[in-house]
Amino acid sequence: MLPVLIEGGGTAGITAALDLAAAGCRVHLIERSNHLGGQVLNLDKIYPTDHCAFCPLWTDIRRLQADPRVTVHLSSQIESLVETEEGSLATIRTTPPFIAPERCIGCGACFDVCAPGAVKPPGEHVYPPSFRIDNDLCNRCGSCVGICPSAAIDLARKEERKTLKVGQVIRAAGFAEADLKPLPEFGYGLHPDIMTSLEFEAWTAEAGPNNGGIVRKSGGGRPANIAFIQCSGARDDRLLPWCSAVCCMHALKQSSWVKRRDPGIDCCIFYTDLRTVGRDYYAYSRQAVDKAGVRRVRGRPGLVHPLPDGGIAVKFEDTLTQKREIRRFDMVVLNGNLRPSAADRYESGMEPPAEACGFAAEPADVAQSAWQGSATAMKALSCDKEGPCRA
Amino acid sequence: MPGVMVFLCRCCGRIPPTVDLSALGEKIDREEGVVAVETRDTICLPEDRAAMLRSFEAGGADRILVAACSPYGKADDVVAKLSAACGGDRSRVRLVDIREGCAWIHRRDPVGATAKAGDLIGMNLGFLRHGKCSADAVVAVRPECMVVGAGSAGMAAALSIARAGHRVHLVERGAGMGGMLKLLSHVYPTDAGAEEKLKPSLQAISAQPLITLHAKTRVAAATGYAGDFKIRLASGTEETNLHVGAVILATGAGVWLPRGLYRYGELKGVLTLMELERRRKEGEETPRRSVFIQCVGARCPERPYCATFCCPSSIKNAALIKKEDPGAEVTILHRDIMTPGAILERYYRSALEAGVRFIRFAADAPPVVSGEGKVDSVAVFDTISGVKREIAADQVILSTPLVANADNTKLAELFHIGIDRYGFFREDYPLHPLETRQAGVFICGSARWPVASGDAAAQGEGAAMKALAILGRERLSARSLSRLPEGKLGHARIEDAFCSGCGNCVAVCPYEACALQKVGGIFVSRVNKMRCRACGSCTSVCPNGTIQMPEHNARAVGAMIRRAFSLREAR
Repeated sequence: MLPVLIEGGGTAGITAALDLAAAGCRVHLIERSNHLGGQVLNLDKIYPTDHCAFCPLWTDIRRLQADPRVTVHLSSQIESLVETEEGSLATIRTTPPFIAPERCIGCGACFDVCAPGAVKPPGEHVYPPSFRIDNDLCNRCGSCVGICPSAAIDLARKEERKTLKVGQVIRAAGFAEADLKPLPEFGYGLHPDIMTSLEFEAWTAEAGPNNGGIVRKSGGGRPANIAFIQCSGARDDRLLPWCSAVCCMHALKQSSWVKRRDPGIDCCIFYTDLRTVGRDYYAYSRQAVDKAGVRRVRGRPGLVHPLPDGGIAVKFEDTLTQKREIRRFDMVVLNGNLRPSAADRYESGMEPPAEACGFAAEPADVAQSAWQGSATAMKALSCDKEGPCRA
Repeated sequence: MPGVMVFLCRCCGRIPPTVDLSALGEKIDREEGVVAVETRDTICLPEDRAAMLRSFEAGGADRILVAACSPYGKADDVVAKLSAACGGDRSRVRLVDIREGCAWIHRRDPVGATAKAGDLIGMNLGFLRHGKCSADAVVAVRPECMVVGAGSAGMAAALSIARAGHRVHLVERGAGMGGMLKLLSHVYPTDAGAEEKLKPSLQAISAQPLITLHAKTRVAAATGYAGDFKIRLASGTEETNLHVGAVILATGAGVWLPRGLYRYGELKGVLTLMELERRRKEGEETPRRSVFIQCVGARCPERPYCATFCCPSSIKNAALIKKEDPGAEVTILHRDIMTPGAILERYYRSALEAGVRFIRFAADAPPVVSGEGKVDSVAVFDTISGVKREIAADQVILSTPLVANADNTKLAELFHIGIDRYGFFREDYPLHPLETRQAGVFICGSARWPVASGDAAAQGEGAAMKALAILGRERLSARSLSRLPEGKLGHARIEDAFCSGCGNCVAVCPYEACALQKVGGIFVSRVNKMRCRACGSCTSVCPNGTIQMPEHNARAVGAMIRRAFSLREAR
């Protein structure tokens, strides 16, 4: 059978690719960034096990790289897909990164010489680790090119296009953070300590800039209290009319890790419905509330605004006591602005498109993405006209 | 006499000058068993890797030591490729981290860094002298599959596997296929009739010659491992033997009855969600005023979990009642509405738009159902508006959770897989949700965790996909079951002559790979190579050191430790 084209190298895409390869199919895996792994790489811990997801993902990525049936196209996007009688023709646009990941030895010489700060270090969980250059910040001065000991940098690298003949297509491009500008009441961008939950995750990650310490971005002091605001951007007709599914557990995870690292910090989750539907999720939320002492307020704050003294005011109504309050917080984490990449395809329907899986199809957590990846792989295998191939 | 070829990586000058590679090379060259030491510029680049392979092949050595970066850098990939040159024997290649762990972290102490690099290399040379490789085990794969449970998940799994060309034995405890779908009137979120939803699958299965349905049958016994399971089915007094390559458990879940709660069983008109489904399926008229109560027997100390399907199910029934009769009064009393995701949230909103009333109550102040002989009202404290409400009702529907089947414990024991504290089958890790502790045994549907029928079917397809990776092969090697690209790190080996048959290894093995067998009148332990995952738990509890991991045997690890503390090596 013709190779399967998979868009997205995150949990769902990797799972689908590994499963198809194990069943003997050839796979083209298209990934936009310069590494595989997707959003899981941005998570310090995953719920409900509280493990770091690096090791299982690392082994899966290495298995994928070692599999002769899988061709990984990094820094690539599907530009067009034309259906013909014998399969589809996919045009893949590859924008090679200035630093070739396969040659980068991770020494950081380029990082040290880059005046505009365009060189970014590899994420802590990225494998294989490679520095990268932010195209928008780079002024093309070329000082990094000469200093690179492994000749990995080429600023003149041009876009390439290639055409692949493929059979089935799987969409697993995950999600992107939606811009919170349409919702000015959350004050995003007005204060360094008002951040989205993915920014908070990176800021407080054990392998991150603070080695797991909980400190404020403004001034680096210890926060006395942190507000986690759920559904900020989600379940809101102005931005995302749906529930992003993962944020309740994400906030419970982040707040209990804050408590674990510094029990003195007051954590408060502002929620509408605390959605904990998976295995052990409800028990996890009881643990966070009863044992770790995370507080909950049912209500969605109407205003988040910086205070002159550096704090952040949060105005809300506790809908269970009907009391309106303005409280001062040191940090505010906004949770919910996650937009599935295939969202426009199912704006009105009650079923996601059959070829999509993981967060691309529907807000989904790690476990859901993984089993959906396998299920979509099976669909691709059964839909193929020639039938499945033998390993 | 075997010899070791040592490669030192300069990492483009990022290891020297902190670590003095020429001094280090001279020192290592004098070590026992070293054939040659070669310094290379950047071993991770393809040009250098090819040169390394050429030197190794010309050098007359049979083992390789690479001193470069940490495994999380790039060297591990190099080592995986080099082990192919050693016949795929990973025990003959060692990687030593002299970059992050020596040159970088001890930047201010070059002498110390060089000494540390020398020590680490010396330790690993000791290890290489004694490392052994366990022989791989290969079994012929039986290209058939057993699927237990003929509900949404099981049917989807069976169909997928049959379409791929493999024989499937579909084992069902009840009389026919369909599982929970047979009990429902409609399914969410499409509001399709459950029967219409079920029909295509039933037809496809009966038209599929590769699927054999074993109805009114249970799994009585099972032995074996991935690729080769021997199973005994029991149907009454009749027994059937199966020989299959993979097993999919899709036994679904049971319904919990709320005896003694909300006057269930006492007042007429108080029923469970499943009873409402049956009534609606049979076309019984729905009374005008309905009140749904959520989380009945769920998210409580006895069952501290959310059963996932109950909120959408109540929403489905409430909205359908309202759509059939716009004058109907339908209220859902809930603690949190659990409709995660885009589609379910839209479904929830469509119920609100249809005029279903939602009232939130607190767990510690549940609603009170009253009436005499027959239900007539429900009193609830509405936490959002802070008032107590009295709602007239002709029927009260209790949303109860799904509970694990009692059979799960036995099946988990038969197939050596884990179950969680609620009795559902459990996966090994969230990233691999359909796989269990045992290779070749897969889980899906509500037997794993409560799910909607559509998701159960998708999980069934996913589990089928995992099973195909085994069924599609003619032969299956123990090494290929590993998640590591270079194969696993071997498996435990036992020397019969010294095994006292104490059974410690049997007790401690998390994969149930060790078992006692009678050999020549005495008990000795045996390791099942297809099940062993090389965790090494057994080696640490064996009182006489009989059980060893060849790749990490006691002599090799001992040599490392002795070298680290500058002790003389035991002969």
